[in-house]
Amino acid sequence: MADQVTYPGRLIAVDSSRGKDTDTAADAIVERMREAGVECAISRWDASGLFGELAATARGDRNISMRTLALVYASDLAFRLRWEIRPVLEAGGVIVAAPYIETAIAFGAGCGLSEQWTRQLLRLAPPADLRVGIDERKVNQPWKRRADRGFPEYCAMMLEASARRKLSKGARHEMMRLLGKARGRKIYRASPEGVEVIATAIIDSRLGESRRSASRPRSGRK
Amino acid sequence: MPRPNNARKVRKLIAEREKSRGLLIAFEGPDGSGKTTQRKLLKRWLESQDHEVVSTRWASSALVKPMLKVRKKIRTLSVEEYSLLHAVDFRHRVETSILPALWSGKTVLADRYLFTALARDAARGLDLDWLLHTYSPLLWPDLVIYFSMTAEDSRRRIASTHAPKFYEAGQDVTGIEDPLASYGRFIDRVVTEYNNLSVVFQFVTVDAGEAVYRQHTRVRELVEKAERRPWLTFSEEAVQEWLIKSHTLGA
Repeated sequence: MADQVTYPGRLIAVDSSRGKDTDTAADAIVERMREAGVECAISRWDASGLFGELAATARGDRNISMRTLALVYASDLAFRLRWEIRPVLEAGGVIVAAPYIETAIAFGAGCGLSEQWTRQLLRLAPPADLRVGIDERKVNQPWKRRADRGFPEYCAMMLEASARRKLSKGARHEMMRLLGKARGRKIYRASPEGVEVIATAIIDSRLGESRRSASRPRSGRK
Repeated sequence: MPRPNNARKVRKLIAEREKSRGLLIAFEGPDGSGKTTQRKLLKRWLESQDHEVVSTRWASSALVKPMLKVRKKIRTLSVEEYSLLHAVDFRHRVETSILPALWSGKTVLADRYLFTALARDAARGLDLDWLLHTYSPLLWPDLVIYFSMTAEDSRRRIASTHAPKFYEAGQDVTGIEDPLASYGRFIDRVVTEYNNLSVVFQFVTVDAGEAVYRQHTRVRELVEKAERRPWLTFSEEAVQEWLIKSHTLGA
């Protein structure tokens, strides 16, 4: 049923519970890769502009559920895959997806969505070659309600306006717990030493060799 | 998800509402099959019988419509983006207009429902299983009326009224430059998907080739005989999620 796609490039996924930390970690990885002579691109959240447009349209009426926001995330990710991530992977380059699928899955689960539902929804995305986690800061603080900071902050703004109450601390803790789950794969840390390790791991992984296949929600029919 | 005691409370509320809630009727069929005409006729008739009626159309959510419109116009949507944006629109309408109307006892007439997405997106090559998952938790209509016609008849009717737009004609997947020729190829796949869905999901079929009045009479009969699909059996998760979110429980 699913296409078997192989790419010669490398995909690094950076996920955390705060948008600012995700961006900072992605910038550090790209800078280190470039220092090492490896061209590296970043794919950031809301490249499609959907979330920005949604916030503008929804001004005054923010009756939006977590499930709707997860669907918008999937749509934005489809855009990023098409225009930013797959072209780099096909050309054999390195791309840092910040954030990637784990952010949406973990945040959704923190807000009551089934983890399995979001994971299935996002199976249009190829698996990352390398997962990067972040040593979370301000762990007992709620999210700032910001439209431009990152997916969790954006959702906090929309959901809190809709429910007229703050998201619980438990939601953030649950998100961090899920982001910390390794699922049989190593999670690299985005600390200064960690970035060195990440760069070495990517450079050593023999660029140009095909990576494992991705599953896309396409049938075999033409 | 709700705590166990909360879940029990929600189930009880849903069960209590079953008798007074409104009926959800979906109109499905290829373009040009007369769904909108029949929906309008039925609405007028129901209102004459003192029913409160709400109509909802495909891709009409105030939140998503502008985003969809601009992207369709500049033809930038991939098959996945097209499908997902329609899923966003559908979910938002279910939560903000369809379920509130049903809960307050109004009849909802849906001019196209999720089966439109299943037929069109499957015709575009997406996996039906993934599509069903994307649209879950499902809110099942009490009655799905399928206006059946052949692909050739649909093409002929469309050709006599207007040139189909880029995505309506399926030009994003056929690659055919002439909109009408592309539509002919695409609608053939869509009708095949619809026919498969009509068996699996037990649509009630109305022959779209019959006279408008005869179709209307048949639709009236179907609606008069329609029985509710119990929410607790068919749509519990969708209703429960909406209830908890919308604070009907005062949570």
